[in-house]
Amino acid sequence: MSTWRVVFRKELRETLRDRRTLLVMIVVPVMLYPVLLITMEQLLIFGMRNLEAEASPVAVVGEGAAGLEEVVDRFETLRRVSIGTDLEGAIRSDSVTAVVSVGPAIEGAGSRAVVVLFDAAADRSIRGQSELARAVAEWEDSLLARRLDEEGLPRSFAVPVSVADSSIARPDELGGYTLGRILPLLLVIMTLLGAFYPAIDLAAGEKERGTLETLLTAPVPGRDLVIGKFVTVALIGVVAAGLNLASMLLTVQTGVLQATAILGLEVSISALAVLVIFLALIPLAVLFGALFLGIAVGASSFKEAQNALTPVYMLVIIPAMLPIFPGIEFGPLMAILPVAGVSFLFRDLMTGGTDVGLGALVLVTTSLYALAALAFAARAFGNERTLFGGGGEASEAPSGSFMERIRARRGHAQVPSPGVAVLFIVFVAVAFFWGGIPLQIFFRERGLLAAEWLLLFAPALAFVVLGGFDPVRTLSLKRPTGPQAAASILVIFGAMPLVWVIGWLQTFVLPVPWELLEGLEELVTAETLTRLAWLLLLLAVTPAICEEVVFRGVLLGGMRTLEPWRIIVLNGVIFGAFHLSFETVIRFLPTAALGMVITWSVWRTGSIWIGALMHLLNNGTIVVLASIPALQELFSDPDRPPPLWLVPVALVIFAAGVRLLQNMTEPPIAGLEAPGSIPPSPETL
Amino acid sequence: MIRFERLTKRYGSLTAVADLSLEVRGGEVYALLGPNGAGKTTALRCLASLLAPTSGTTWVDGVCTQDDPVGVRRRLAFLAASMGLYERLSATELVQYFGQLHGLEGDRLDERVEAMIELFGIESFRDRLCGRLSTGQRQRVSLARALVHDPPALILDEPTIGLDVLSGQTIYEFIDRERARGKAVLFSTHQMDEVDLLADRVGVLRAGRLVAEGSPQSVVADTGEASLARAFLSLVQQPEQGVGS
Repeated sequence: MSTWRVVFRKELRETLRDRRTLLVMIVVPVMLYPVLLITMEQLLIFGMRNLEAEASPVAVVGEGAAGLEEVVDRFETLRRVSIGTDLEGAIRSDSVTAVVSVGPAIEGAGSRAVVVLFDAAADRSIRGQSELARAVAEWEDSLLARRLDEEGLPRSFAVPVSVADSSIARPDELGGYTLGRILPLLLVIMTLLGAFYPAIDLAAGEKERGTLETLLTAPVPGRDLVIGKFVTVALIGVVAAGLNLASMLLTVQTGVLQATAILGLEVSISALAVLVIFLALIPLAVLFGALFLGIAVGASSFKEAQNALTPVYMLVIIPAMLPIFPGIEFGPLMAILPVAGVSFLFRDLMTGGTDVGLGALVLVTTSLYALAALAFAARAFGNERTLFGGGGEASEAPSGSFMERIRARRGHAQVPSPGVAVLFIVFVAVAFFWGGIPLQIFFRERGLLAAEWLLLFAPALAFVVLGGFDPVRTLSLKRPTGPQAAASILVIFGAMPLVWVIGWLQTFVLPVPWELLEGLEELVTAETLTRLAWLLLLLAVTPAICEEVVFRGVLLGGMRTLEPWRIIVLNGVIFGAFHLSFETVIRFLPTAALGMVITWSVWRTGSIWIGALMHLLNNGTIVVLASIPALQELFSDPDRPPPLWLVPVALVIFAAGVRLLQNMTEPPIAGLEAPGSIPPSPETL
Repeated sequence: MIRFERLTKRYGSLTAVADLSLEVRGGEVYALLGPNGAGKTTALRCLASLLAPTSGTTWVDGVCTQDDPVGVRRRLAFLAASMGLYERLSATELVQYFGQLHGLEGDRLDERVEAMIELFGIESFRDRLCGRLSTGQRQRVSLARALVHDPPALILDEPTIGLDVLSGQTIYEFIDRERARGKAVLFSTHQMDEVDLLADRVGVLRAGRLVAEGSPQSVVADTGEASLARAFLSLVQQPEQGVGS
């Protein structure tokens, strides 16, 4: 038997002997879940019937309202009582649920003012108001009929249009629509819970009980260990999800729930839909299992793992809730969003209308996320620091002020660590969000200029100076050579059309926010030379300095010890994320791609000036081109494909620039902070 | 059989083990001594491939841990101080599980499991879940678990910690027996009487460095103290200087 199967069988056996897992996996869905639903429904129905059974005490006040009083008296659901002059007090003291106040009688064709007074924060009062409103409407009808009779007009005279709503939704569709908003969330939560405890138990629990060390001394390849554990967690997650699905369907589809019948709803989910839902639950359970396992193994105890996983749990629920909100459509973007895609797919399957392409996209992307999570878990299990802690490091944890701790952590390299650099970016992002956006709203373009200098450039400089870091090495302030600058110009001019193509390609899957683009176009288009100079300062020079200092300065400086591909991808992704807006994600991919190209060039040359030059040329070119009237139309329509001849030309220029830069620079050694940096001192070796 | 060659392990700027070299031959019992934090467990974990050394190598039965960690684990019995057992497996299931992890199957697996159960007197509680065993019973199951694949080298990290005299005696008998069978036994301990009773040679670690090595008698003689306990105290309390033989 293969080793992973030995591990899997043992883990499954042990897990099935764990009462807590059994409770979450079997008892909750099979027993508690329908019982809970039915109990809640019964309580609801009991409350509703109680309200209906009791005639609501109401009052009618005002002169000449005898006709209304007669109508009210005919209503079995209403009981007319007399009250004093304090109408509000009578409602608050529960003497009446609602009061109708009738204004003075009007001669001729005028309207009589009628006010229904009630307490919108009390169920009984709302019910009284609703019944009273029906009585008033009936009285109004009788008054109208009398007027029409007096004038010798038919009843239809006052009803020129007769409106009747008629929904084409079948009861099963209506049921799917109503329950389809709630059930996907419940299914995702139950799948998550199914994997939650086993993951903690098999990872942190094993460490807490001291069995992990024992296990790792057996000749089990780490891969088999992770697979064995992971298959157990995923299987339990899938079983829990499957049992939930079955239990849920039995509860809502067999007519056990009276509320669905009362509301005229039916729940009829096809066998094929159930099968697809179950199939989608598998990668979801795998994703949760691997993710939780990878995180939990870093914790030293069950409790610590619970603390670590709770925020993840909360984060996962947010995308799962998206289908509940009206107005959020299931499109390609939602399909690729982790967890949200599955939740949307469940909703569509329950309502009977599914796009096969979107469904496939959800299954494929969720499977990819699951694989990524599995790789993460495998890595966590292979990390000795994760498994056994950091040795004596804990006792050496620096203390003192925040900046002192950052200084202490910088070690001998004079540059921030990757973690500290990312922390700084988070700080800058938060500051830019809360400070930069208001500045732009209140001061428009000048606000943007101020935000770049005050919230990006100044904090970056302050961070380097106060943190005691070496500015030359942290910010890559090495001067580039002329040929390096020339090569980087080729790289950026080659990359720009390619980034344009990326932007165009993504319009096939992402909606184009036209209003936003029009606003941007207006911003970057200059009609006069003075305006052009201002825009170049605002949109080209300023970002080339301020954003480069942050991203290719502090962030790249802190990350230089990582593997090259990580440095480049992470920097690009963070740079792209920084350019996200509430309205659209359309700028993310092109900006991230551009960020990666600039990062590679700066990483290779060790010079931030190269980054600033490339950033300046990219932004400046856009401003200049957008200001040339003949070209405006070309740029203002993102749906329009870039000229095809540009692609091969751009590729050649880009490749030539990259090759030239490669030839004139030595690749920085992975693990060292920067090309040509001072070697570590002997005591750090 | 067991060899450390200039092993160094650092955690950041803290050196847990520094330039450790020692050898345990087949049929020999070697006691690794040192105060808490001296680097004993770290060294043993490096040998068992649980930790990657910063530099240096470790060997078991001619196999280098750093080149073939799985091969080393096949040749090694590792008994951790924590005595971690799966609470929801029975004693028999636990021993079977580790037998399977070591590649035993079918009749050979059954034979070895039964032999371990008999050897360590587990019969009376073989079907009891490990979570319900006493400390002594747990230690016996731990030994059965570690020995099920009959490896040539044994590493015991504080094997008698928390045990009563009777349970401790089981361990002593077991170590004696394994020595007689030609196994190399490396164990760490704080109990000097245990060392006197069992060890052919001792090594004393202080701040990650081997500061003394030799037979218990020679270490006592080299320090000029009256007993191993006093010799140990003088070695771990004195300023940095090597004592060897």
